[in-house]
This record gives sequence, structure tokens and C-alpha cells, in this order.
Amino acid sequence: MSNREQYKKAFSVLHTSSDFILEEKKMVRLKKKALLRTLATAAAACLVIIGGSGTAYAANVGGIQRTIQLWIHGDQTNVTIDFDEAGHYSMEYDDEDGNKNEVGGGGVAIEDDGTERPLTDDELIDHLSQAIDVGYNDEGKIMLYFQGQAVDITDKFENNICYVFLKGTDTSLYVTVLKDKDGSFQFASSPDKYMQYKETEPGIYTAY
Amino acid sequence: MRLPVQDLINAYKNNVYAAAFSICKNCSDAEDVVQDTFLQYYMTRKKFDNEQHIRAWLLKVAINKAKNIQSSFWHKNKLPLDDYIETLSFETPETKELFEEVMKLPEKYRVVVHLFYYEDFSVKEIAKILRTTENNIKVRLSRGRAKLKEALKEVWEDE
Repeated sequence: MSNREQYKKAFSVLHTSSDFILEEKKMVRLKKKALLRTLATAAAACLVIIGGSGTAYAANVGGIQRTIQLWIHGDQTNVTIDFDEAGHYSMEYDDEDGNKNEVGGGGVAIEDDGTERPLTDDELIDHLSQAIDVGYNDEGKIMLYFQGQAVDITDKFENNICYVFLKGTDTSLYVTVLKDKDGSFQFASSPDKYMQYKETEPGIYTAY
Repeated sequence: MRLPVQDLINAYKNNVYAAAFSICKNCSDAEDVVQDTFLQYYMTRKKFDNEQHIRAWLLKVAINKAKNIQSSFWHKNKLPLDDYIETLSFETPETKELFEEVMKLPEKYRVVVHLFYYEDFSVKEIAKILRTTENNIKVRLSRGRAKLKEALKEVWEDE
């Protein structure tokens, strides 16, 4: 048997268990899930930036579950969050359509001496309470959500990039939203400057 | 040209999964990549030359997304690779050994070996998918083969 035949036999055991039902509703739900995952990843990345500027954090407290209220798409929503001691979280909530959603993420803080440590649950909650989200509403408008605000940014894009300053209750944010070629969104925020995006690989944009 | 996404899923979902798995080495992340990749096809307005072009694009997107997951802080409860391998039904002990040794290769060799031996792409096509030079691909392929030969001995033929 040739190397190629043997290789194909070895890897033909891999089968996805994903069950695809490609109805419009399902794809919209998947898109929302993808956006929320981007949110979680962006949150974690932002925390690193904050940590890198020398912010001091309290000692680690982990391994607990909390039910709190977070702003999700402009609505105060009850969210149950599980934290582990490694700086990760997973949370569950029911969205406006009654669908159960699960998201997760995590992050590290970088101390002044350059060492990394997992974020505490309080740090993660602080950040999640300031998380932003972007999506289409029922009327097809592009909306930017931050705490209780829902801002229509449909006409604010130039070359698929939009810059918005958001004034929150405790914090104000400079938000950059990128409209991807496939119609999805990426976004990054900072308390003191507009983040920029560059295409590092086809279809992959990195905020800096 | 465009093909119905359901037809593409039926034809390529396991190829996309295998390519993602060869980067992530984790079934949960690879499953996410499969869904996100076909979702991206569903949402893109890109036009393709032919089915081969679509296949190469799907694999390129899957590889990029899998690398993205690897470099992000997104985590899940991951099933250890060894435990997952025990759930797979290999035809022979040799194919299982080959699978395990490929998974031990550095990622930059592993993905090239996979695209060459499993997807039958040429060096030129792999260079295009991974956006690097043909020489770079040749070097990675050669080093990947050498490592497999060293580990697998007679199970892996000289080329």
C-alpha cells in the first residue's frame, strides 16, 4: 500500500458529527453564535491590552457559578456564568427569541513584570458588563449595542469601517466596527483610542 | 459559479473536518470550524470558477479559522487527543500508528502533509492555499516525510 493510500485510510476515520439543517432560521442562529464567539474573543483580547498597561488586579477567586444581569443586545438579561480557576468562563442565557444560548471565553492579565495570570471572575464580570455587540435588527439596520444603548450605525461606514464613540454610565468607549466581505462584523474597543484593523490573512482581520 | 451549500456539505464536510482537526487536534473546535466554514460560504457573495476552486476555498477558510481558534483565548472543555483517538475505528494498527505520528508533527508540517496526502493537492496548490512559496512547501513536506519515516520505519515508504 502506498503512503498516500495508507494516509487516506488513517484519516478516513474522521467524521464530523455536525448535523446540518440549512434552513434560513438555523443559519441566522449560527451567525448569531459566531458573532457572540467573536465578542467573547474580542473581550479576552481587550483584557490583555488593559492588563498590559499595568492595571493592578485582585487575587484570584474562582470555581464558582453566579447569576447576574448583563446587557445583551440592549436588554438587561439574566445570565448564569460558570468560572473556573484558569481565567475561563461559560455562560448561558435565553435570548429575545427564547432560544438558549451558550457562550464562553477567557483571558489573562499581564503583570508589570510581563508574567501572565488567569483573570479572576470579578475581572471577567467587569469586562462582560462593558461588552459591545453588533448585528442586524429586524428592519435590516446595523445596530451597535452597549449596555442599554442601541445605536444605528448603518450609514456610518466608510470603506467598510465605522468609528463610534460611546458614552456609558461609568465608562466611555472608542469602538471600531469592521464589516467583513461576507457581511459579518468584527469589532474592537478601547477606553482611550480607536483600534485599527488590518487583513493579516485572507478573511482574517486583526485589531491593533 | 455557485453550488448549493447543502450539496457541498454532503460532499466535503468530512474533508473540512479532517483539515480543521489536523490543525486543532480537538474534535469540538474542529466541529465549530466545519459549521463556521459552511456558514461563511453561505454568506459570501464570492463567485467561483469551478467545484475544485470551491473545494480549495473551503479548505483554506477552514485552515484559517482553525488557526484563529488556536491563537485565540477561546476555550472549551477539550477531550484529550489520546482519548479521542481511542474512539476512532482504525482498520489496522499501522493506520492508527500513522495517525498518531502525524498528530505529533509540528503544525506547519502537519497541515502540508495532510493537504498533500489526503486532499491530493499539488505543491503549487498548497502554496496558494497557505499563501507561501512552493519552495517553502517543498521543505515542509520533505521534513514532515522525514519525521514520519523516522518514527514509522518500514510502515512509511521512502519517496
